[in-house]
Amino acid sequence: MSRRRRLRDATLWLVVLAVTTAILIPFRAELDKAHITLVLLLVVLGAGAQGGRALGVGIGAASFLVFDWFFLQPLHTFVIANPLDWLVLFAFLATSIVAAQLLHREQESARIAGARADEVDRLATLGAEALAAARAEDALAAVASMIRESTDAESCSVYIAGEQGLRLGAASPASVAASGVMPAPPLVEWVAKEGAPAAQTSGGTTRLGRPGLRVREIARKSDSDVHAILMPLTVRQQTVGVLRLEGGGIAHLDDSQWRFLDALAYYAALGTERVRLAAELANVEALREADRLKDALLASVSHDLRTPLTTIKALAHELGALGDERSQVIEEQADRLNRLVAGLLDLSRLNAGAMPLHVELNAVDDLLSAALQDTEPRLAGRTLVTDLPSDGALLVGRFDLSLAIRVLVNLIENAIKYSSPGTTIRLAVRREESKLLVSVSDQGSGVPAGEEERIFTPFYRPSSERPDAGSAGLGLAIARRMAEWQGGAVTYARTSEGSIFTLTLPAADLKEL
Amino acid sequence: MPSSRKTILVVDDEPQIRRVVNHALADDATRVLEAATAREGIDMAAAERPDLIVLDLGLPDGSGADVCREIRGWSQAPILVLSARHSDAEKIALFDAGSDDYVTKPFSSAELKARVRALLRRAATRDAEGSTKIVRDDLEIDLERRAVRLGGSPVHLTPIEWELLTALATHPGRVMTHQQLFTAVWRGRDHGDAQQYLRVYVAHLRRKLESDPVHPRFIFTIPAVGYRFGT
Repeated sequence: MSRRRRLRDATLWLVVLAVTTAILIPFRAELDKAHITLVLLLVVLGAGAQGGRALGVGIGAASFLVFDWFFLQPLHTFVIANPLDWLVLFAFLATSIVAAQLLHREQESARIAGARADEVDRLATLGAEALAAARAEDALAAVASMIRESTDAESCSVYIAGEQGLRLGAASPASVAASGVMPAPPLVEWVAKEGAPAAQTSGGTTRLGRPGLRVREIARKSDSDVHAILMPLTVRQQTVGVLRLEGGGIAHLDDSQWRFLDALAYYAALGTERVRLAAELANVEALREADRLKDALLASVSHDLRTPLTTIKALAHELGALGDERSQVIEEQADRLNRLVAGLLDLSRLNAGAMPLHVELNAVDDLLSAALQDTEPRLAGRTLVTDLPSDGALLVGRFDLSLAIRVLVNLIENAIKYSSPGTTIRLAVRREESKLLVSVSDQGSGVPAGEEERIFTPFYRPSSERPDAGSAGLGLAIARRMAEWQGGAVTYARTSEGSIFTLTLPAADLKEL
Repeated sequence: MPSSRKTILVVDDEPQIRRVVNHALADDATRVLEAATAREGIDMAAAERPDLIVLDLGLPDGSGADVCREIRGWSQAPILVLSARHSDAEKIALFDAGSDDYVTKPFSSAELKARVRALLRRAATRDAEGSTKIVRDDLEIDLERRAVRLGGSPVHLTPIEWELLTALATHPGRVMTHQQLFTAVWRGRDHGDAQQYLRVYVAHLRRKLESDPVHPRFIFTIPAVGYRFGT
C-alpha cells in the first residue's frame, strides 16, 4: 500500500471521526456513554476495514481521546472523575484494537488464499500444457520458461541425467540452449552426483549444500548476492536432472516465490523423467525392430544356405567316390554349418516366443521310437538300453511330438558325444504324478563341477573341451527352452557313473477307449 | 512303359540342384529330365509320363502343394519333395496334396538314392494291390476274413484297430496323415474327440503287433504328420 494512500485514508477517517463527534456533541446530555462508544466503535471498525490494522488502531486511539475529552465528566479535560469510567474507556480501547487486529488477520488470510489460488492456477495451467505437449522436450521447455517467468531469472536451464552423463534438456530463453552450454558445467555435474543444491554469488563464491537441504537456505546465506542457484531434480528419490537459474530476480525471491519454485522444480523433474522415458521407449522400439530384422535375416539365411550346402555335399560325395578322402571332411563341415544355422534360428524363435507349438495327446512309444530311429545308427559302439515301465502300461502325455523328439534326440546325441565307445547309454521312462520323466543316463565324464546350470546357456562349452570340438554349444540351451515352451523341463544330475539328463513333460490320463 | 528304362523328372529352379539330382540318379537304367519352373514341370510330366517326380518346394511360380495336386489329378507317379525347411503344417499339406515323401536340404546323394529306390519299388508293387491278403514278415492280414495273424497266432483287434491297420497296410510305404487316417477309419462320422485319441489307438495297435514298441517293424511314426506302414 502506498504512503500517499495511507495518508489519504488517515485524513478521511479523522474527518469522519470529527464529523461524528460534532454530530454527537449537541446530544451528549441525553446520550448514554454506551451509545457514544458504540457509534465511535463503528468508526474504528470502518477505518480498520478500509485502511488496515494500523489505521484501525490509530483511529481507535483518537476515538479514545475524543471520548475522554468530549464525553466523559469533567468535560474538556483528560481527568476522569468516576473510576468506573476508566473501565468504559479501556474496554473501548481494547475492543478497538482487537477488532482492528481481527480484521487485519482476516484480510491477510484472504490475500494469502488469493495468492495461493493464483499459484495453483498457474501450476494447473503448466501441468495441462506439459501434459498436452506432444513431445516430451516441448513439455520440459514449457516448464523451464514458466520457472524463468515466475522467478524473474535471466535464464533457466534444465539438465537431464542419462547413461552418457548430463545433457541440456531445455533452456529458457531458447537462445541459451542454442548458444550451447555443452558439456554441463562442473557444478551441475556435482549437483547431479551429490543430489544436493548449490549457489554461486556474483563475486564468484560457490556454496555447496548437503543432500536434502533446501536451496533457499543456501541462497539466504549469500544475502542478496546470489547470482545462480542449482537444485537437483528428483523423482522417487532418484536424481533425474539439475535445474539451474541465473541472474535477474533470483536474489530477491520471497517465501511464496520459493515455495512456487519448489513446486515448479517438481514439474521440471517429472518433465526430465518423461524425456528420459521417451528416449528409452524409442530405444526399446529400435531394439525390437533390430530383433525382428535379426529373426527375418536368420530365417532367410538358414533357408538360402541349404541349397548351396546341398550342392557342396553332393559335390563332396562325388569327389569321395573318386577316392579323395578329404571329401568326408567337407560333408561333415557342411552338416555342421547347417546345424549351427538351424540352431540359431531355433534359439531366436524360442527367445521371441515364436516357435510354432502343437500340443496333442501323444503316446511315449511314438516319442521313443522316433528318437531311437534317428540316433541308433550313430551310437558308434555304445550300447543303448531302453527301460519301459515293467507293468507294460501305455504312458501318454500332452506335448508337441516334433519338439519333444528333438529334445530327446539332443540328449541322446549329447550322451554319445560325452561318453566313450563300449559304454552303455540308458533311456528310461516313468510317470511321477502329473509328469512324464524321460531320462538319458551315460557313463561319461559328467559336467565339470560348478557348471551344472551353465551348460544350459547358449554357446556354452565345457571348460575342458577343445575350442574346435565341433559344437556350437546351442544344443542343451535349445533343448531346455523347447521343453519349457511346452510346459516341461530339462534337468541335469550327476550319477555315480556319469550324467543323467531328464526331460519332463506333462502327463495325461486316458479315458476308457 | 515301352522300355524298362525308368524316367525321373526333376523340377527345380536351381540348376546346381538339378545337376546334383541328375548326377545322383541317372544311370544306365534311368534317364533324368529337368524342368526349371512349375509350369514347365507340369507340362513335361504330362508329356513324358515319368515314373517318378522330384519336386522342389521353393519354385518361383507356384506352391509345391498346388503342383502336387495338379499332377495327382492325372498321374499316380510317386512325388518326392525337396525342401529347405518344412514347417509341420507344410509337411501335412504336402502329404494331403498327394506327395509321397520328402527330403530336407541339405541331403546327401545316398539319402536321395535310397528314397527314390524305395518309392520306385513301392510303385512297382502297387500293381499287386487288390489282393485280399497282405503279408509282411510274420504278419498276415486277411482282408476278406478280417483276420490278423502274427507268427501264426491270431491277434485280436478292436474294430477301430482293424480299420486303422487296414488303412495303413493297404498303402504300404506311404505316409498317411492323421487326417487321412481319421477319414479312413471314421469315414466322416462325428466321433467327438476321437481324433485327438488317434495316436493312442495307434499306440495300442502297435503294442499288439510289435514285440518291441520302441523299435517298430510295421508301423512307423512320421512326427507331426502321421504314420507309415512298412519301410
